[in-house]
Amino acid sequence: MTERAWVLCWRLLILVVLVGAWEWLTGIKAISTTPGLYWIDPFFVSRPSVILRRFAYLASGEVRLSIWAMALSTVQSTLWGFVVGVSTGFAAGLVLGRRDRLARVFEPFIIAFNSLPRIALVPLITMIFGFGLLAKIVLAWTIVFFIVFFNTFQGARGVDADLIHSARFLGASERQVMRTVIVPSALAWTFAALTPSVSFALIGVVVGEFLGGETGGGLGYLIIQSLGTLNAADMMVALLTLGVIGIVMALGIKQVERRLLRWRPEYRTGA
Amino acid sequence: MEAVHDVSFEVADKEFVAIVGPSGCGKSTILNMLGGLVTPSEGAIELDGRPVADVPPNVGYVFQKDTVFPWRTVRRNIALGLEYRGVRGDEQERRVREGVRLAGLEGFEDAFPATLSGGMRQRVALMRTLVVDPEILLMDEPFGALDTHTKLTLHAELLSVWEARHQTVVFVTHDLSEAITLADRIIVMTRRPGRVKLVHDVGIPRPRDVIKLRETEEYAHEYSVIWRVLGDELAEPGGVQGDMRNAAAAHLGSGHPPRPPASRPPLE
Repeated sequence: MTERAWVLCWRLLILVVLVGAWEWLTGIKAISTTPGLYWIDPFFVSRPSVILRRFAYLASGEVRLSIWAMALSTVQSTLWGFVVGVSTGFAAGLVLGRRDRLARVFEPFIIAFNSLPRIALVPLITMIFGFGLLAKIVLAWTIVFFIVFFNTFQGARGVDADLIHSARFLGASERQVMRTVIVPSALAWTFAALTPSVSFALIGVVVGEFLGGETGGGLGYLIIQSLGTLNAADMMVALLTLGVIGIVMALGIKQVERRLLRWRPEYRTGA
Repeated sequence: MEAVHDVSFEVADKEFVAIVGPSGCGKSTILNMLGGLVTPSEGAIELDGRPVADVPPNVGYVFQKDTVFPWRTVRRNIALGLEYRGVRGDEQERRVREGVRLAGLEGFEDAFPATLSGGMRQRVALMRTLVVDPEILLMDEPFGALDTHTKLTLHAELLSVWEARHQTVVFVTHDLSEAITLADRIIVMTRRPGRVKLVHDVGIPRPRDVIKLRETEEYAHEYSVIWRVLGDELAEPGGVQGDMRNAAAAHLGSGHPPRPPASRPPLE
């Protein structure tokens, strides 16, 4: 058996055991005189079979706001927040990383803003941008920007001075140094920030959706709705869907990274 | 901290000058000043009669440290200087191919530096500098990190390029054999703060065979003459460095200069 198949087998096994135990433990009654008492109460954690049924229902056309529409809304806001956050964070990191004076000027502002708990901004952002897509994107941006910014900043600062010198001796202009030396060496640092950035973008978006109501759509809305109706199954549908979205996005980033950083020894293929 | 003190010398057009001295004597600082990376606190560096302020054009610099860009393939590393100067298309491709051939790296054009040996990477760095045809070449212990065999091969390659194009070269090294093999003139530095201790013309005719050279009388003579001066510098307290210490001590103790080390390089 290849290494890959072995890993895959174990993953599958763990999944089956977990889901099986969940289904089984929430199905057996506790030995107790009190009727309806379970070992693990499906009221709180639901059961895989029930979740599946709810998922099928929510995915059907019978509901006003289907799970597809909600997932799409969440993915859309996350991607936008991610893209805007990464590009602005990267640009700011490059500029401040190479301009010592400017970095010193901005340092206290950046630290102050970054230490604000972003969740505290939610009401304000909602007040300004309303309940829709825009508020969620802004919220995701406020988190992603800083993660990417700090990493790129470090990367741009740490560029080997001799690499810059050798580029200058080969005739590079200031801009060519930026393009051929600073950007590629900072990129390795930036990429390290991207996978956590996806998770944080999702956090921003879901928190935005908690407050956003039906206009914002989204899986966060489904979670809050289910809390209102004490419906654990629907909540689980939302959570599992979020998990799948997170995995798919992380894998996508890995692919891009593998291509852009293929010069690094750890991505070297056999050829 | 003062790295060098009252250092003054001239390098003629098309001349190959080597600067040798103990570690920390400011050899690299001199080179950095020549290249415009460091501004001298006193005095001036002049190039063709004009003071050097910034990195001058037509000057190539080869570092001891590996400065090949790891995110570029061999081909794209060698193309760097041409790219910066706006040489594109067929012309770029032709000159890069020529560079790859001279570096003996055919078949490795699309390899990333991480897959190459130290010697191959230094070849790329050297060729990347030579492909834009600089008139002046500053080299800071470019082969310092390489094994003897690779070093000798690169000496031969450097000499053949130099015989063909006759760049003005300033070559910093702590390896006396290397200096004698390559240079027309050798500048010996004192310990820190470095001063010029000796300027010596190497009387070995060209073209030189980097391997046979080491068995000749002339080579042994040049070596002992310079070693007598350099060895003193190494033996003084505080100036003793690394593995040269024993050689220098032996020289002082026995009263005659040590034989040049590695007179027979390990070739297959």
